[in-house]
Amino acid sequence: MPEREISVSGTLVWYYYICPREVWLISHQINPDQDHDNLSLGRYIGENTYAREKKEIIVGNSKIDVFHTENGKMVIGEVKKSSKYKESARMQLAFYLKELKERGIIARGELRFPKEKAREEVILDDRTERQLDQVKREILRIIYLEKPPQPKRIQFCKKCAYNEFCWS
Amino acid sequence: MKKTIYIFSDGELHRKDNTLFFETESGRRFIPVEDTGEIMVFGEVQFNKKFLEFLSQKEIILHYFSHYGYYMGTFYPREHLNSGYMILRQCEHYLDELRRLTIAREFVRGAGKNIRQVLKYYHSRGKELGQPLETAEKLIATIDDHDSITALMAVEGNIRDHYYHAFDIIINDKDFTFQERSRRPPKNYLNTLISFGNSLMYSICLSEIYKTHLDPRIGYLHATNFRRFTLNLDISEIFKPIIIDRLIFSLIGKKMITKNDFDRDTEGISLKEKAKKCFVEELDNKLKTTINHREIGRSVSYRRLIRLELYKLEKHLMGEKPYTPFIARW
Repeated sequence: MPEREISVSGTLVWYYYICPREVWLISHQINPDQDHDNLSLGRYIGENTYAREKKEIIVGNSKIDVFHTENGKMVIGEVKKSSKYKESARMQLAFYLKELKERGIIARGELRFPKEKAREEVILDDRTERQLDQVKREILRIIYLEKPPQPKRIQFCKKCAYNEFCWS
Repeated sequence: MKKTIYIFSDGELHRKDNTLFFETESGRRFIPVEDTGEIMVFGEVQFNKKFLEFLSQKEIILHYFSHYGYYMGTFYPREHLNSGYMILRQCEHYLDELRRLTIAREFVRGAGKNIRQVLKYYHSRGKELGQPLETAEKLIATIDDHDSITALMAVEGNIRDHYYHAFDIIINDKDFTFQERSRRPPKNYLNTLISFGNSLMYSICLSEIYKTHLDPRIGYLHATNFRRFTLNLDISEIFKPIIIDRLIFSLIGKKMITKNDFDRDTEGISLKEKAKKCFVEELDNKLKTTINHREIGRSVSYRRLIRLELYKLEKHLMGEKPYTPFIARW
């Protein structure tokens, strides 16, 4: 992996809303267990859905799952396994919208839940932008902590690929 | 969990389109690549670079053993989990003598306490093991007094020595007496089994390390010399008594392996193919056996316990939680 400056990416925003410990671990390249079923499933869904759409563009540090243009306007999509952590996904997508906006592109966002055959629109408003600025600072603060935040047992732990790492 | 493929016959390993393929004189067999975690080769096997490239791509590790069943080497595909952060922590704990000792002590403690657990188990089943148990207890109690790796290695060797001599009481079979620990070549049947089992354990631990961010070349009890894998030797110490030795006792006890399962030639004693197969099959079953894990809140397999041990070590290196070895409770 090439040398990179530490900076916030969309994935980190997603994890921030789920578990700050994950933010620290991922940013230190301590990746979760690659054999974990949910990871494989997520990878599979990402690779095998929306085949007709253009996939993956890189903006800054972020990789956007799918995109297309509609009446000359760009629409970007984030693909998720389920809508369970919708708020996290919403902020992740809003982060991408903001990254594009900072580069002069006004786009619209769509959350995609292929298994549920559902979509949901995400629009970047002033309030969300302010919230994202704050989250960005908070994520950087976590990354620069000397140790990861202590594990806390939450609902997500049960399905998390870090489960055994955190609780061993 | 992905499977371990054991190859005993002679033949050729290929990449065939997007899967693996093993061809022998008597037939051909597909090896489903997505379901394979590691390959252990005991037979005479040929393969080419294309095959190795495919293994790398699929992150499959390959271990090979000599005709006598000794661990010979590993095709360790390029690292797929890189964390500069973790490598630096690992080195930091190796270079600092005190920190290195702290970890090495835990490995010796883990080995010693699991040995004690095995002795206790057979003692409670009427084997006369009071003496070795007492000695093991005494030696374990001295672990914290030693402040050099050499001294710790000596304690470990000492515990193991007394323990191996107790094998005669546990096994109680004149075909399988211990006499003394002999390797390369082992001088008797029991030593042959111990060597074979330990070889397997080293390679299994290495496979698990491959799935973490740890570098297998940096061990703490066993000295790193940058040529050889050593962290897997450290981790193996903890699991050898409860996995390999218990397996040997049960194989001999159930007469699944008898003195007729060995070949003797000028270079030493080796296990016949049938016995090797029996050994690895039973080991595979053992590794799949699950035990209840309190903190994780569900049952985990013995094989998974090895991974958890590595996770605990990572957390120690990160300064999160001091490492304590897994100790069997029964």
